[in-house]
Amino acid sequence: MPRVLLLSSTTSYRAGAFLDAARAIGAEVVVGSDQPQVLAALHPAGNLTLDFSDPDRAAEAIVAFARGRPLDAVLATDDEGVVLAATAAAALGLATSPVAAVSAARHKVAARERLAMAGLPSPAFEVFPVEADPDEVARRASFPCVVKPVALAASRGVIRADDPEQLARAFRRVAALLALEGGSQRTSRKILVESYIPGDEVAVEGLVRGGDQRLLAVFDKPDPLEGPYFEETLYVTPSRHPAVVQAAVTAATQRMVEALGLLEGPVHAELRINPQGVWPLEIAPRSIGGLCSRALRFGDGVTLEELILRHALGLDVAGLKREACASGVMMIPIPGAGVLRAVTGQEEAERVPGIEEVRITIPIGQPVVPLPEGARYLGFLFARADQPETVEQALREAHRRLGFEIDQIQGGRA
Amino acid sequence: MITITEVAREKVLALLASEGRQGLALRFAIDGRGPGGFRYRLGFVEPQDRRDDDTVVDAGGFVVLIDAQSAPHLGGASLDYVETLQESGFKIENPNAVWSDPMAAAVQRILDTEINPAVASHGGHVELLEVKDQVAYIAMGGGCQGCGMADVTLRQGIEVRIREAIPEIRAVVDTTDHAGGTNPYYQPAKGGRSPLG
Repeated sequence: MPRVLLLSSTTSYRAGAFLDAARAIGAEVVVGSDQPQVLAALHPAGNLTLDFSDPDRAAEAIVAFARGRPLDAVLATDDEGVVLAATAAAALGLATSPVAAVSAARHKVAARERLAMAGLPSPAFEVFPVEADPDEVARRASFPCVVKPVALAASRGVIRADDPEQLARAFRRVAALLALEGGSQRTSRKILVESYIPGDEVAVEGLVRGGDQRLLAVFDKPDPLEGPYFEETLYVTPSRHPAVVQAAVTAATQRMVEALGLLEGPVHAELRINPQGVWPLEIAPRSIGGLCSRALRFGDGVTLEELILRHALGLDVAGLKREACASGVMMIPIPGAGVLRAVTGQEEAERVPGIEEVRITIPIGQPVVPLPEGARYLGFLFARADQPETVEQALREAHRRLGFEIDQIQGGRA
Repeated sequence: MITITEVAREKVLALLASEGRQGLALRFAIDGRGPGGFRYRLGFVEPQDRRDDDTVVDAGGFVVLIDAQSAPHLGGASLDYVETLQESGFKIENPNAVWSDPMAAAVQRILDTEINPAVASHGGHVELLEVKDQVAYIAMGGGCQGCGMADVTLRQGIEVRIREAIPEIRAVVDTTDHAGGTNPYYQPAKGGRSPLG
């Protein structure tokens, strides 16, 4: 029975999906997590506690573990574990992308530099320390532009500014967010300011083997992402862009893979399309986040997690094609800051033709914080239909039927 | 079916009088199982809440309703009311074994002695609902309900330990409504940890 180390932080949405995938293919799992598992003492051979922020030391612990229980693959479920996964896999002699490539992909500035050096269309950008004078930053920028904290992911802290006043305000807000992230050594205290790229945004899901990207899906993002915040909502596949545009997107993604030097494993890329061409935004050495992978099925029902696991274990995945129907997911946006008191209309939303699942992921009574500061989704809607238009309509209608009662917190943003 | 002591009957009648409403019934149910045995639920319900398959016991002045799932486990039980310096309240004596199925009883022992003491450190608990066709059906509560690591707790802890101790168990199935959890220990987030939720 093959044995895989699954690196999953305690904030992951996806540990269960990967455990299901491992069971489906008969693989034994060891879960490596950043916090102790509550029942680790009952099954020490199946649970490791690792410091994801210190990959070298954590990789040593993994190598020591593997001496007694050899590992056939090391996988990370999310961004937080990818550098450690590459470090450990390299130390164990397993197929992986170079640590430097994965680290660069995780770092907004390093990735920007590599993409630009490879000749890919790139926005002009400049990096500032968090202590920089916001008014001075505003004087140096051209508009419109986008402010991004280097260390955060998933659109957190990403704010568009159309004039110096907006930029100075956005810079202060992002600096405050980074301060709230705490004095963690791993949190980069730098802020990227780059020119805003207009256009339709798409996401590409791919699987890289030997440096060649195999396209798994192109997702359209039908809701305009024009700022001031960039909250992702709808993902629908297959793309409705013309075939020639999709081919350009696929080619650009392959160039991103090459520019960063990624060699193995899943990638999730985001790109913009406008009359000037296809613009790479970023590429992450992991698969799609949240619960969104449920929008993808391959062959006769194989999940994305199973596909990734099969790939990592060297099993054949070439014959597994994405299902023929259209599918999509809505990451339910948080309408305002406060405490979630009630969710209404779930049954009505589930009755919308094409809707397969309505999943609320924030418990009643918990605080909710929208972007740019927040880090959670209210939940997810999933739909399948013959055509992507129908999927999009179903997701919008289901969302329209949902109601969220949120008690605003005094002084909170709503 | 069940015995209601005179003291308990008088206490129930007094509570009914204090409610100021006539015709309420007393619903008596098994609410779960834990290390101390059965957990019970007692409460007044409207007459229209009586279900066709309820067992109805005339206690003299009020009726006791026992649901069909609880009834087989309450035969010979008694309901008393005690009031001493040490304790006061309704007291239930039940001669029935918590689980008549030895396999379920063995699973319960693992939960009581190993798993629940550990998950209690995260404010959680795990309840055995039934064992059917060698599959143990459980529900998680407290800090485990809705926890981002609930699947890991199940697969890498609960299931492994139960199957190790009781190899006849083929699988452990989590029936928890995790969306209904109100205080999960670990909560998922996009793009890494955030102090803001």
